[in-house]
Amino acid sequence: MLLIKSWKNGVRALALASVVSVAAGAVMAAPQGGGTLVVTTTPEPAIITNALSSAPTTAELATKIFDGLLEYDFDLNPKPSLAESWEISPDGKTITFKLRQGVVWHDGKPFTSADVQFSLMKVVKEYHPRGKGNLGPVTSIDAPDAHTVVLNLAHPYAPLMKGLSSLETPIVPKHVYEGTDFRNNPAVNNPIGTGPFKFAKWEKGNFIELQRNEKYWREGKPYLDRLIFRFIADSSTRAAGVERGEIDVATFGTINPVEMRRLEELPNISIAKGGYEAIAPVMMLELNTKRAPFDDKRVRQAVAYALDRNFITKNIWYGFGKPAVGPISSFVKGSGAFTDQGILKFDVKDRLDIANRLLDEAGLKRGANGMRTKIVHDVAPFGEDWRRMGEYIKQALARVGIEVELRNRDYPTFVREVHNKYDFDMTSTWSIGMADPTLGVQRQTWSKNINPEVPFGNVSQYSNPEVDKLWETAQTEKDQAKRSQYFHKLQELLVADSPVIWLMEMDLVAVQNDKVQDLITSPLGVRGGLYDTWVKQ
Amino acid sequence: MWSSRARYVLNRLIHGLPIIFAIVIANFFLIRLAPGDAAQVLAGEAGAASEEYMRQIRQQFGLDQPLYIQFISYMKNILMFDMGYSFRHGREVSSLIFERVGATALLMFASMVISVGVGVLLGALAAIKDRTILSNVIVIFSIVSYATPLFWVGLMLIIVFSIHLGWFPTSGIATVGSTMTGWQYALDIAHHLVLPAVTLSFFYMALYTRLMRASMLETLGLDFIKTARAKGLSDRKIVSRHALRNAILPVLTMAGVQVSSMLGGSVIIESVFGWPGLGLLAFESLFARDLNLLLGIFFLSSILVVVTNAIVDVVYTIVDPRIELKGKLAHG
Repeated sequence: MLLIKSWKNGVRALALASVVSVAAGAVMAAPQGGGTLVVTTTPEPAIITNALSSAPTTAELATKIFDGLLEYDFDLNPKPSLAESWEISPDGKTITFKLRQGVVWHDGKPFTSADVQFSLMKVVKEYHPRGKGNLGPVTSIDAPDAHTVVLNLAHPYAPLMKGLSSLETPIVPKHVYEGTDFRNNPAVNNPIGTGPFKFAKWEKGNFIELQRNEKYWREGKPYLDRLIFRFIADSSTRAAGVERGEIDVATFGTINPVEMRRLEELPNISIAKGGYEAIAPVMMLELNTKRAPFDDKRVRQAVAYALDRNFITKNIWYGFGKPAVGPISSFVKGSGAFTDQGILKFDVKDRLDIANRLLDEAGLKRGANGMRTKIVHDVAPFGEDWRRMGEYIKQALARVGIEVELRNRDYPTFVREVHNKYDFDMTSTWSIGMADPTLGVQRQTWSKNINPEVPFGNVSQYSNPEVDKLWETAQTEKDQAKRSQYFHKLQELLVADSPVIWLMEMDLVAVQNDKVQDLITSPLGVRGGLYDTWVKQ
Repeated sequence: MWSSRARYVLNRLIHGLPIIFAIVIANFFLIRLAPGDAAQVLAGEAGAASEEYMRQIRQQFGLDQPLYIQFISYMKNILMFDMGYSFRHGREVSSLIFERVGATALLMFASMVISVGVGVLLGALAAIKDRTILSNVIVIFSIVSYATPLFWVGLMLIIVFSIHLGWFPTSGIATVGSTMTGWQYALDIAHHLVLPAVTLSFFYMALYTRLMRASMLETLGLDFIKTARAKGLSDRKIVSRHALRNAILPVLTMAGVQVSSMLGGSVIIESVFGWPGLGLLAFESLFARDLNLLLGIFFLSSILVVVTNAIVDVVYTIVDPRIELKGKLAHG
């Protein structure tokens, strides 16, 4: 073993030297066409048309096959995609898009305004789980000619312009879907899009292969000939595949944070940061505000004080994230919606004393064993790291006298007990905030979203008329500056009330081989079209 | 003789039908005791869902129907060998299963050959060379490989033979996206097969070694071996012609059990080596509450168990002609 080790170090040193010299010579290298990119992701999606499902891996696949009307820069400002230009009327109730000409579907049929009309009204708004959020106020769409669409809105709706990417509102072909049962249409798993890659092959339990769309409207792109998504059930094996160079890119969640840090040390592998700004993922603890002891704001705040966000970020997630300020994350800084001014801060020096004082005030006195109360923490069934975070929470809360019992259940049981029956005290989860708080953050604390029929809504069952009113006003306000003021107020109110403890803004980094170039070129990252990505031969 | 064997197998299979039927009924109800349904899983994976969406899915999956109606329609279909539709995958259950059964069969067959072959050899050797260093080494080796968790063995083999030595790929059944055909393709699969097959063999090999050794030791002490020795037969002949055939019967029984569990595959091996087999499919469909698919796999497994048991019984009579097939066929 020792021999192998030292031999390997030698190889590493050699490889490092060559990488350094290559890097020096390749600063200005132009993209090379051709080649195959092998990506691993998990779990294997059930379907690969994201107009009908918002499952994360479905989106990772489908965003290569479909385009949206718009794309976004890193500050989340809209950029042309299938729509070349757009105009919003002064009253904010009509939006006119000029569509790109000469775009063809993978089956050769021309792309027209009828496809956009159909996709938005009949497919995405009806079937995409977030469709109502993104397109709710759109009452009708006119198509005056083959390359113009006019969206008519019931009221101004600023978030609309943030939700038209291929991730949120993919454009699907009308001629394939019209008049069929969409979910059972064979095209769902043999999709036809306008995107940079065409669907080629799906070997279930093994891989999905996409091929270069020769007729893609972005001339000369994509650079890659093939894009392969491999599905491997074991995270250590995925890491071994990356280490051996069989896998070029591993998306977030496929490799444990601790392993990512180990792989990063290897000479030919690095961490690809960025590319989740438009997704704005935040990790959190939801508290049952309808049940003792968390029906008392002081107890909720005490929990917020007792947990060390820096410790969680550094030691459980190995630095892949940063401590969260509140529900609205710094990912949306560009639009002005984020603030950390005047927000209650829990990471203070005497936080344990404050937590103890709050619990005393709430009437939870320490008993003979030093404990004040006992709660059950339902750990999100997302893997090992979440269980470790649960163990940390148990220890941290024991220090202020809250005894925690950890409960780990399988996914369907977890969803049913916690999200459909609201039978829980405290539960961990993560949520995507999206490019606008109205789209992703509102659902966590808006009282109209307390609905046991639908998982992942307002699980805390938090109900506050002032908060409701702010969310609803921000929804219809046209002026972004005014909207930002509402969001700042929401941030302040919600953090002070702590129905949810927002722990960490997550970095959904990918692990990549250094031969992969320009992997992250949009705020969607690996969930974008990857048409700029190329492989050094 | 052969026709009687065929009749015996047929007879056994007909008797197996009610068993399979009972298994199907029990599975149908047992599986529904698991909390949560497919719609909740899909909605959960989506991260958000509307009430409308949940209702649509339940209606489409037939989950809104009363249980007895679901049961009647399922039984009707199964009688016509229609295993139903996996709504999660948007495919026929049968096509999903048959697509994966090849990979599982290949892995199982390879590991069966390795484990039975090596197991019988080591077991026999340990018995013949009883109370020597060799026999002790074999016994210790078999205990260690029996007791070591398979996932750990798998990962260690990957680290040593894939990452450090670079001899074998880390995972998968073939090089993805390659355009190989014919022999080249077969070799590529064989190359990918080595590590998972060897890993999976560890457990059964240990089992066969121990069974074979015990049974061989017993056989070697029997009178007919003494007789053979008295006749002046060579040791080689005694072992190969007389002892081995008698001692191998328990191994056959165990091999039958191994074949029966084939469709279930090995979730651990398939998961560690990214092997696209049935075990993982069953595992995933359990967590997705994809009941039709899961029931389909159970159904085929129960058929396989009944068929294998019948075949193993017949194989006994070939290996050891003194064993007779019971019942009216005994003198056939």
